[in-house]
Amino acid sequence: MVFDLLDTDVSSANALRRVMIAEVPTIAIDLVEMENNTTVLNDEFLAHRLGLLPLVSEMAQSWKRPFEWAHDDDMIETAFALDVTCTVDGVLEVTSNDLVPLNPEHGVFPVNYKSETEKPIVICKLRRGQQLKLVARARKGIGKDHAKFIPVATAVFQYKPKITLSASAMAEMTDDEKQAFVHSDPSKTFKFNPITRMIEVDNEESYMYDEECIVKARELGRPDLVTITQQQNHFIFRVEGTGVLPVASIVRQGIEILYRKCVDLELGAREAVKLARDKDAGISGGGALMIDGGPGGGMGAPGVGGGMDMGGPGPGGMAMGMGGPGMGMGGMGMGMGGPGGMYGGGM
Amino acid sequence: MNQPDRYVQFVLPAGEQKVSYKADTKLAHAGTFSFRSEDHTIGNLLRMQLHSDKAMVVAGYRIPHPLEPVMVVRVQTNGTKSPEEAMQHALQDLASEYELMLNEFDAQIGEVTRQADDRQLHGL
Repeated sequence: MVFDLLDTDVSSANALRRVMIAEVPTIAIDLVEMENNTTVLNDEFLAHRLGLLPLVSEMAQSWKRPFEWAHDDDMIETAFALDVTCTVDGVLEVTSNDLVPLNPEHGVFPVNYKSETEKPIVICKLRRGQQLKLVARARKGIGKDHAKFIPVATAVFQYKPKITLSASAMAEMTDDEKQAFVHSDPSKTFKFNPITRMIEVDNEESYMYDEECIVKARELGRPDLVTITQQQNHFIFRVEGTGVLPVASIVRQGIEILYRKCVDLELGAREAVKLARDKDAGISGGGALMIDGGPGGGMGAPGVGGGMDMGGPGPGGMAMGMGGPGMGMGGMGMGMGGPGGMYGGGM
Repeated sequence: MNQPDRYVQFVLPAGEQKVSYKADTKLAHAGTFSFRSEDHTIGNLLRMQLHSDKAMVVAGYRIPHPLEPVMVVRVQTNGTKSPEEAMQHALQDLASEYELMLNEFDAQIGEVTRQADDRQLHGL
């Protein structure tokens, strides 16, 4: 899927790209219980291969990840069984079609499962007498956890190029020179119009920023023929899925995750600021108490060291006090205050 | 191996705050926000959004240690608004940007599917 994103900053485009790769959830095999493996491949090798199989992940949005807080009726995992024994001479291929969903109602299958047109993915090859028997459990995850959860094969963006051709420079060029210029670009960005005998921009978006045409223009002695700039607020995205999710869904979920993140962080930031303010208020309150010698301030409390407490309970709070019982040090000390001045002197 | 578990990159430990704020003690209108389980995705996004604020003097982000899932944003304003306000505005603006993006994306997808349906109808 190719789409344009306009009127935004690169950081925003890049955030969307990164989220599509690393944070859009999918389902993949995460746990494999081997019952019998007499193949030439070892258990870990096969478990890794099984993990990399793409599974249809449309259900991932409604599932919960293993560590998330879940109800009893929330979906967390589904299982597949695989039991293949080779009883023939020659080579038997174990493929994604041999995985049997133990809970077909969950709607999770390998991509192109039992498809008549597409070939399945080979997991392992068996010779006569070899057996592979296992149960594989698939869970929801994100690309940040493991690359097997990444839903995209390609997720890239580029600036849209702005190509301007100078008519005055073109007027002084021969047709051969124009043809040579047009053919200098490897991605067929330009074309020669035989009627007007002019160079035209055929497909701006195919330009690869290789500057071959600029080099050619310079060679022809027309350095002002073409000027190419990047439009800093116009991005062309190219997203290709692995088949586990429809591409439109990947992009949509990417934007949605970013939106959710911003809303959550805004709430979090508000809470954090409130917490920081409360802490400040609490600290200056503690300072006042301490000068009174009342409870709550760090100094008079038993077990908290004596000595000099500098700025312990907040800005401007400074007091002298005797050491409490049980702490015989009573030296001079400085403490950076936590709430309530618990880090009194006497260090 | 002392590599931390991968899940710490996105799981918030119990009782841990997602965001924490600490005002700078030596500089007016400055402070540091720490975001747990966030990375360059949000870091750079937030930094650039803060830069677009006229009241911004300094906005930068860093990941103090690659093995710790903490991203730190330092904010200093010119005093017309506090760093806390600037951060809130930046996050609100980003949220509304993505809300708009979501709506426009849905509208465009709807448009494209409608056109495809039309073509199929006329093709038949």
